[in-house]
Amino acid sequence: MAAPEAPDARRDFVTRALARFEQPLLRYAASLVGRLHAPDVVQDTFVALCKAEPGEVEGHLAAWLFRVCKNRALDQRRRSGRLAELENEDDMESPDSGPASRVERAQALDRVERALGSLNEQQRQVVLLKFSAGLKYQEIAEAMQLSASNVGFILHTAVNAIRRELGETEPVLREARSLP
Amino acid sequence: MNERFEDPRLTAHVLGELDPEATRELEALLADDAELRRELESIRETTALLEQELGGDSGLGLGEARRRAIREALPKPAPAVVRPKRRRWVGFSLAAALPLLLVGASMLTMTRTKTDEKDRAAPLSTWAASGAFALDESLGARGVLSGKLGRKGDDGRPQDFDTESYDKFDENPFVRVAVDPRSTFSVDVDTASYSLVRRFLVQDGKLPPKGAVRIEELVNYFSYAYPQPASGELFTVSTEVSSAPWASDHRLVRIGIKAKDLDMAARPPSNLVFLIDTSGSMDAPNKLPLLKSAFRMLVEKLDGRDSVAIVTYAGSSGLVLPPTRGDQRAEILGALDRLEAGGSTNGGSGIELAYAEAAQGFVKGGTNRVILATDGDFNVGVTSQSDLVDLVQSKAKGGVFLSVLGFGMGNFKDSTLEKLADKGNGNYAYIDDLAEARKVMVEQGAGTLVTVAKDVKIQVELNPAKVEAFRLIGYENRVLGHQDFNDDKKDAGEIGAGHTVTALYELVPAGGKVPGAGVDDLKYQAPRAPSPAAGAGELMTIKLRYKLPEGEVSRLLELPVRDGRAPIAEASADFRFAAAVASFGMLLRDSPNKGRASYADTVELAKGAIGEGRDQALRRELVQLVEKAERLGGR
Repeated sequence: MAAPEAPDARRDFVTRALARFEQPLLRYAASLVGRLHAPDVVQDTFVALCKAEPGEVEGHLAAWLFRVCKNRALDQRRRSGRLAELENEDDMESPDSGPASRVERAQALDRVERALGSLNEQQRQVVLLKFSAGLKYQEIAEAMQLSASNVGFILHTAVNAIRRELGETEPVLREARSLP
Repeated sequence: MNERFEDPRLTAHVLGELDPEATRELEALLADDAELRRELESIRETTALLEQELGGDSGLGLGEARRRAIREALPKPAPAVVRPKRRRWVGFSLAAALPLLLVGASMLTMTRTKTDEKDRAAPLSTWAASGAFALDESLGARGVLSGKLGRKGDDGRPQDFDTESYDKFDENPFVRVAVDPRSTFSVDVDTASYSLVRRFLVQDGKLPPKGAVRIEELVNYFSYAYPQPASGELFTVSTEVSSAPWASDHRLVRIGIKAKDLDMAARPPSNLVFLIDTSGSMDAPNKLPLLKSAFRMLVEKLDGRDSVAIVTYAGSSGLVLPPTRGDQRAEILGALDRLEAGGSTNGGSGIELAYAEAAQGFVKGGTNRVILATDGDFNVGVTSQSDLVDLVQSKAKGGVFLSVLGFGMGNFKDSTLEKLADKGNGNYAYIDDLAEARKVMVEQGAGTLVTVAKDVKIQVELNPAKVEAFRLIGYENRVLGHQDFNDDKKDAGEIGAGHTVTALYELVPAGGKVPGAGVDDLKYQAPRAPSPAAGAGELMTIKLRYKLPEGEVSRLLELPVRDGRAPIAEASADFRFAAAVASFGMLLRDSPNKGRASYADTVELAKGAIGEGRDQALRRELVQLVEKAERLGGR
């Protein structure tokens, strides 16, 4: 955008971003740093949005927000002394980011959250971006710097894992039976 | 595992992500493969569930203080340009001011529109296509401004001021045993103060007002491994003694009560009336939607023995659901789902209607309870607060108890709600998020539903040979006159199934220095002489009176307490943890009695006492809260 942007436009923009993404970002942050620190992380994310260059954000707001949120979350984890996360964004499977501990899962809100706890962090992130933030595969791909087909694969695997956890289906080969 | 089920196109198809060619290919496969079609259906069910569970509100929120911080970070508007011609100038500056005003106003009064599933999935590309900073009407913003930038009062207009109220109170001081050797108080299992403190620290990012910090509620938030009652026993009372971490020359006595757990098969029937505040101020994600989730969890635990009715109070109060058997879940949950916020509060007549319904369905030998859920904004109109309290008290005498669930922030009336639950013989919890809803309604739901003992009072007599002075930590709102202990007409607290209750006394040993100004010796009486019992080496004797839920005559228990002289390092993890929580409470209150307590020491003490029990995660959360308070500039 060549023309200097009016402050009101920025205010409106942030307001709408808040409306659209506050809940998904809170959920996402909570999955990384827990309920207690999530509001801190999300506040920082929106403050960063207030100060961002239009060029940075334009056209890919969700990707930008979730990436900033993740970075802030990782900062928070480092501050609270947990294992250092791998810097490589492509590899989310650091030792500390595996399935939630049994105790944490037992404390989870409901069976869906429990089921989420059995996923690895990359799968969790994809699931949240899809079902909490409502992003399309392409948008998720951008936010996580993966290919769209990668995203499809991860999501399918995650959905199957969740189905198993919820006990809705046995993924074993069913006997072929003739049904009406 | 069948490989064709591993095909990611299945999920992509359900989510509408396949391009036309891939869709055609997949549909060709599906046409011939019934099993694959069933697999697809199962995936569809799961994704629908995920959208429903993850797409809604989590109960998490950014509080007002955080929103202010975000607003502060916005670039400041440029000053209006001054035009040479005077008339133009006036016109122009008005025009420049108007958008700012409009934007400012819109930030404060974003109204909530109905959520539309379609809106939630509005594609980002539409927004991007119109330019990052352009207004985009099609986005729909999920139909919801989740968490507002300003607050709405009952009439839907924005409120800029904070109308929360918390009663300030002075802490119990040290009492010299020579002056008064007794301490009498009513037992309390409320937990609201803890979740309130958590809400301030986490969602609002600031320290809580001192009046919101009731130390006994912080300590009682956690469960402790007190001895289980044997069959036939209603509850056990146990004690532990060690040193006070914040004053090593003082002793700390922990009294613990554990009520028997509920036998779900044999539990008595419940006659419940949900009294729900649906006024305009309840229209926020952390209020009515969270409230609905909480009640849903409770309803899932009921069955054909129980009855549920729903009464709302807002504008005109109404019977939204007549008494309905507990197994008619669809009806009950449907009525819950249909609740909407709007109108101004008239708490008075709603309560009367709720009690009337409860009376009609009264179950002898069962639990009869009104559960009030509100943000505390009692614009009661006709009825005054004291009339309400009297009403609640007289109904409790008649066997219909009242429990209170608090939600939200901004006009939360903690003091009112606590009084109502106290006089109503019920417990008071503050629900700040879904996890807390689960704790209150499911994990401790039995205690909310079933009372094991009522009018429970404790009277402690201290031994002057061993104790110079004592201080009851917390329970300031529960202190009773000594003569109230034996007076069965005086109400006190009740204990629900599975509940634990903890009380802490800090003791100055005989001969020790007592903080605070002393009291003059009496002119007309000589100091009391100790009796032979004082020589037996006991610190104190605890007496406890309680009544059965339907009883009118109290029963008495008596238990002496000795000091095993164990140092704090050898005390149980439960003891050390309770002490850490009390220390945290004193720091938040900047208590005159906090001694050498510090946030850092409290963190260490708590960390070392997390233990292996069921509430490990909650204990770890406490450690984080203490660290948070320290960072917020705690004293």
